[in-house]
Amino acid sequence: MVFAKKVKKIYCLSVLSLFSFVSLSQTLTVGFIDFPPHIALHEEYKDSPLYQYINKVFLQANFKVVYVKLPRERAFTELIKGRVDVLMPTSIPSNHETVRKLSVPLFHTVPGLCFKKENYIPILSATHRFEKLNIGVPAGSQVVAALTGSQANLIPLKGEDVTSRGVELTQRGRLDAFYHPSPVKVYHQENPLYKEVACSYFHGYSTPIYIAITNTMSKETFTAINKIFQKAMLEEPYEYYFAMRK
Amino acid sequence: MTLSNIKKVALKVFCILSASIYLISFNVHANDAHMKSLINDITKMYMSSMVYVFKSQQIINGKNIDKKELLGKRFIDNIKQTYLAKYKEEFPKEDHFAKTVLLQAMVEVMDDNKALLYDDEIGFKGIIPATFAFQLSAKLSTKGVGLKIKFTRTAGQIRNKLNRPDSWESSVMKKIQNTPQIYYDENALLNGKPAIRQFTPLPMAHYCLACHGVPDNNPLNAGKKRSEWSNIDITGFEMENWTIDDFGGGVSISIEKSVLE
Repeated sequence: MVFAKKVKKIYCLSVLSLFSFVSLSQTLTVGFIDFPPHIALHEEYKDSPLYQYINKVFLQANFKVVYVKLPRERAFTELIKGRVDVLMPTSIPSNHETVRKLSVPLFHTVPGLCFKKENYIPILSATHRFEKLNIGVPAGSQVVAALTGSQANLIPLKGEDVTSRGVELTQRGRLDAFYHPSPVKVYHQENPLYKEVACSYFHGYSTPIYIAITNTMSKETFTAINKIFQKAMLEEPYEYYFAMRK
Repeated sequence: MTLSNIKKVALKVFCILSASIYLISFNVHANDAHMKSLINDITKMYMSSMVYVFKSQQIINGKNIDKKELLGKRFIDNIKQTYLAKYKEEFPKEDHFAKTVLLQAMVEVMDDNKALLYDDEIGFKGIIPATFAFQLSAKLSTKGVGLKIKFTRTAGQIRNKLNRPDSWESSVMKKIQNTPQIYYDENALLNGKPAIRQFTPLPMAHYCLACHGVPDNNPLNAGKKRSEWSNIDITGFEMENWTIDDFGGGVSISIEKSVLE
């Protein structure tokens, strides 16, 4: 009986010390992708709410963290090769078997349409209002059924910066609106484009945005990070933290 | 063992069994009462937020107005005040995870609308009780906490296709449409898991008729000649010609039993 108790105690202590060992000894390289207003890399990113939330979580768990800013195009390659351990915020494409993600999404994005202010349609479930409208859609992107099933003329937008192209064509009256998978990136008060367009949302069609983890990370470290992130999200979800920021 | 001893043991066993059965049934009733109370609190919190959104239309759509009352803790405080005025009772204590998640989601939804709220170039923002309720439902569905809230109505009369009633809601509305009363089902399913569901019918309110009533109720027609009246409401939908006596739909709440435990 006494022996069994001792074994149990030793087991518990070793599990605890394993977690603290994992956190204390590990230096994590965390990559950020530009995703305003959550993290804006052209500004001092340490002022961004996502950085502040994540940094607090890692610090509380005694992780040593090195942060790097990454362009979207290169970010996944860096993660796959293990040059960054953690990457955020990102939707994980279904064909990406070469990376993992934490079990709880960081936040969700909702797609929408951006209009010239005077032509603004606030409620997008009123799909009959799209009839004969010319709506720009980033070429090759998936569009919600509410739009594809409507009577709108969908015009593919090509080029490297489809958002700027969409804003430009909307301003010139060549488009009535343009589709954006995450209009919050455009339509937030810190963005100069806030003055140019107004966006509304296809509520009910959301995409989870995750923290991605390299496959080269050990199972123990992955489990430890997943656990501390789940705990943090339970105590204060990131979206609530974001909404309550000053 | 003598006969009297056997009798004594049998009596003892009988007493223990009776007490256990009594305790179990007491516990079941207590749990049932607790679940009903929780689901009622959530319904009333949800409805109070819709009423506050209705009452705040001037702040929501107004230009050069401070919108802080619609955001963060102040938004929740205003919903609490609305609750007190509407139900003449204190706002429920935040003593369950589901209530906390609901209040957090309310704050998050209004923050999602922050850019729009402060956009003085947009007049009508489209943040009305029904759209707020739908945004809140959509937000809660992303939380993965086994709580589903919906403001819905009979299938043929729903403007937002994503808000159509499911088969449980349709069958409940069919039962209670003519004699509206709260319908409680403790043996339902949500996401294939055992759940408790409640449908609380809402009486048609005058503010609903501004969009769903007859052209006479349409604020856009105010001050215009009858010949110039429109049956398209401010949100861009055709008005349904409902009257104050029509069925107003209701609030459907589902909670997985595992959440309640």
